Amino acid sequence: MRPAQDNQGSFLGRISIRRNQFVDVNNEQEQEDLELFQKHIADRFTELLSPPPPPQPPSDEANTVASVAATEQIMSVTWLRKLMDVFLCCEAEFKAILLMGRDPTQISKPPFDRLVPEMLDRSIKALDICTAVVNGIDSVRHYQRLAEIAVRALEQRPLGDGNVRRAKRALANLVIALSLEDKENVSGGGGGGGGGNKTTERSWSFGRRSGGSSAASKGGATIGQLKSTSWAVGRNWSAAKQIHAMTANLTPPRGNEAAGLPQPMFIMSTVMVFVMWVLTAAVPCQERSGLANHLPVPPKHLNWAQSLIGIHEKIGDEWKKKEKKGSAGLMEEMTRMEKLGHSLMEFADGFHYPAEKDAAESAATQVAEMAEICRRMEEELVPLQQQIREVFHRIVRSRAEILEVLEQAGKLSAPVV
Amino acid sequence: MAEFESKLPVSGGKNHVFEACHHVVKALRASDNNLDANLRKLLSDLESHLSTFGMVDTKVEEDTGFSDMDERFKEAVKRILGWETNQSTILEAGPSEANHFFQALYEVQTFLMGFKAFPIKTNLKEKDVYNQATVALDIAMVRLEKELCDVLYQHKQHIKPEYLAVSSRGKDIVYDESFVSLDDEVVVEASSLEDDEQTLGFQAADMVDPLIIPHIKAIANAMFACDYGRAFREAFISVRREALDEYMITLELERLSCVEVLQMDWEDLNCAMRKWTKVLKIITQVYLPSEKRLCEQILGDFDPISTACFIEISKDLILSLLNFGEAVSLRSCQPEMLESFLSMYEVSAEILLDVDNLFSEETGSFLRMAFHELSKKLANRTTTTFLKFKNAIAANESSRAFPGGGIHHLTRYVMNYLKLLPKYTDALNSLLENLEVDDSIPEKTGQDILPSTFSPMARHLRSIVTTLESSLERKAQLYADESLKFIFLMNNFHYMVQKVKGSELRHFFGDEWIRKHIARYQHNVTDYERSTWSSILSLLKDNNDSVSTLRERCRLFCLAFDDVYKNQTRWSVPDPELRDDLHISTSVKVVQSYRGFIGRNAARIGDRHIRYTCEDIENLLLDLFECLPSPRSLRSSRRR
Repeated sequence: MRPAQDNQGSFLGRISIRRNQFVDVNNEQEQEDLELFQKHIADRFTELLSPPPPPQPPSDEANTVASVAATEQIMSVTWLRKLMDVFLCCEAEFKAILLMGRDPTQISKPPFDRLVPEMLDRSIKALDICTAVVNGIDSVRHYQRLAEIAVRALEQRPLGDGNVRRAKRALANLVIALSLEDKENVSGGGGGGGGGNKTTERSWSFGRRSGGSSAASKGGATIGQLKSTSWAVGRNWSAAKQIHAMTANLTPPRGNEAAGLPQPMFIMSTVMVFVMWVLTAAVPCQERSGLANHLPVPPKHLNWAQSLIGIHEKIGDEWKKKEKKGSAGLMEEMTRMEKLGHSLMEFADGFHYPAEKDAAESAATQVAEMAEICRRMEEELVPLQQQIREVFHRIVRSRAEILEVLEQAGKLSAPVV
Repeated sequence: MAEFESKLPVSGGKNHVFEACHHVVKALRASDNNLDANLRKLLSDLESHLSTFGMVDTKVEEDTGFSDMDERFKEAVKRILGWETNQSTILEAGPSEANHFFQALYEVQTFLMGFKAFPIKTNLKEKDVYNQATVALDIAMVRLEKELCDVLYQHKQHIKPEYLAVSSRGKDIVYDESFVSLDDEVVVEASSLEDDEQTLGFQAADMVDPLIIPHIKAIANAMFACDYGRAFREAFISVRREALDEYMITLELERLSCVEVLQMDWEDLNCAMRKWTKVLKIITQVYLPSEKRLCEQILGDFDPISTACFIEISKDLILSLLNFGEAVSLRSCQPEMLESFLSMYEVSAEILLDVDNLFSEETGSFLRMAFHELSKKLANRTTTTFLKFKNAIAANESSRAFPGGGIHHLTRYVMNYLKLLPKYTDALNSLLENLEVDDSIPEKTGQDILPSTFSPMARHLRSIVTTLESSLERKAQLYADESLKFIFLMNNFHYMVQKVKGSELRHFFGDEWIRKHIARYQHNVTDYERSTWSSILSLLKDNNDSVSTLRERCRLFCLAFDDVYKNQTRWSVPDPELRDDLHISTSVKVVQSYRGFIGRNAARIGDRHIRYTCEDIENLLLDLFECLPSPRSLRSSRRR
């Protein structure tokens, strides 16, 4: 369902066909295209800000309705997947505006000789963020597996102390992992490793090789201090710094420029930075301190930016709240998982065999909810990773196409020897 | 019953037999309520034993039976708790102790299964025992998880370091200079080192001591049977990933972001590209096949879990290797990157089959596909770089004549670079197959019979050298002195021929090409002799001249000779053989003419007017093309 994708491919061919006809720029047509582009951006983000009500299932269980509604919530996995789709659509449309039917020499002249390289530079940074986020989603999948262990244990009937013990171990690890900040997530084991978000992923029910089994036997959890060399991107790489760097020279075009091509370039760059920012906030990501401050909000009077700003504010508030107490990510499922984790921990702490009926029943509801979250993660996390990889490859491809056009422009403008 | 103390779970076939026995016992008891006590005891014992081996109903109604179970259960729990805080591994305690532990675990688990099958009828005491059993089972599982990690850690084995030497092609970096850094200064020829590539056969290595595999397998079987399979997986993946991380440290592979790769200077990037090439090969051809085998040895019975574990262990590294390939492909293709790109492409194509085997299942298909994509991308970049290389030669212009007429560094650079390429014959042939090219030898002619001479790569190599030749022709036009122009062309063509003849390149360029190019520089020699010496030697022709004319001719010859000497001693013919040949052929012509002239006319000219003897001329000619640092004038030093 990505109509704009058709625009890829042989645009170069089209350029060469249309180059001759180009001489007289049809300004009106271009204006129309630009306005349409802005409108599409506005529409797409408005839909993301306030998703249409889900089709009411003819179900009589309130539970099901609630969970269906939750899938559409901002920062849920489903929503993030929609965001990826939106990005791909915007990107395809933008590329069409930038390259199709355009004289290649145009985008190599001022101010584009500055704007285009800046944009390409941003896109390279976005690539690294994609890599880091794909890796972060792997961590989320690890949380999912911890939650599944807890669910599996708590589903046992009759529920014995041993089952609860097992669940508690998994829950403790889950809760700790979910509330760890990036810095704590970075392994304390040191030695050869760089940053990275792997400790949570590598933490088991005991400190390996360090006599941790006694701690485990008491049902407690220790986070193994394992050294990790698997930083996702680079040794000193920081998601927050990347986002910050991407925004460095991102300013709305002024004067004459505001009416022309610089405008969609600014819009697309803003969308790209925004999407990358959302991804970094959603899942564990290498080094994010101060992330909330790093996104300059586009001016409010711009129509296309309204909804984007709305989403930004919502997520930004959440992030600030979370940053105080520490969080691995704002993904909606993770947030709920954390709540359920705490509450099930409480249940586990107060558990005496045989289970008391009321407590067991309420726990069973929570277990079912946790199981549902796990199921959704199981269904959606891998496709989300694939989409992000697709975004990665799309950015690579677009960059190559733009460079190709620039090269062509270089040849055209070079003096004939 | 010791011989039955086997590992969990009992195989399916056996299970049926036990189940059948169990039914027989049940039926017997149901058929007659008045069995005598002995028989009843016997049946009860049998049933209890049966329950130890099969996943069957263990509910024993008789009190005697339950207390029997109770005793054994208590024993089993005791044994498990005994290991709870023991820090040494069960493996170290020996096979019999290990068997006891697994047996105890099995008893507890069997009891739990039985209880779950009939939970309603159970009394309070049994319920309490059930609860104890869940705790004991969990303790046993935690203990086994620790055991798994400890044993895997203590008995891990690394890939032997000699694999590191494999495929470090052609030593390091013959050409790390940038193509654009070539200006008109004489550079020292980089010594091209001999390729000492080892041809070690790749084979799967043991990632852990093979002796511990059965123990690990027993742990896997027990944990999966007790529904702790996920815990096993997670722990197993964690330990193995850590081992892989450690191995990466020994390989010194650093993860680089796209931003870093794009900002790196050429030398560092070149190193990183070479390292990547090496690591990718070791990882996909040695390390990961071994890792996969380990997963299969331990979890083969639980496929697809074995596959899933393997992918979890390797995915992170694989993605980062792919990522580097992607990042490098983002760079603009500089001609000097050709060899590094070639080696990256070659490896990426070579390992595709290995990758297909490693990730043959659906779960890993995205990795498999990613490698195929990357290989295509690298092919594309390599071809582009190849063309850039050619274009860069074509575009290489000089503003002033190359001093001394020696071997231009463009010639050196290109020819030595080309010498590196036969290593990548297959890769280049497949890359260049469909690329059009102007070739100087369009069809099979003459003595050339080797197919390699007419391969796509050969055609492109000849075409590159043709481009080089044109560039040299243009550079030659910069010389004011026509003779020096011929010396320059001679030197450079001779150099090309030498490089081709003395290396594998000869199979590509072919005899025809070599013959033509030898003829070419020999022609330059003739041209030189004509342009420098014909006018001078014409002074020595006799026309029955008067004494004064003869004296004048002799004087003019000496002046002209001095002039040639002054200039051409500073010229360079670096190849000693070529220089000797040139000296001889020049000497033959000049000295012969001079000797004849002097012999016929010496008496008339008079000794006073003859500056050089024939021997002088002969000796002086040897100084030509010696690339002397400063002009040497003959008038002061050689005057008699």
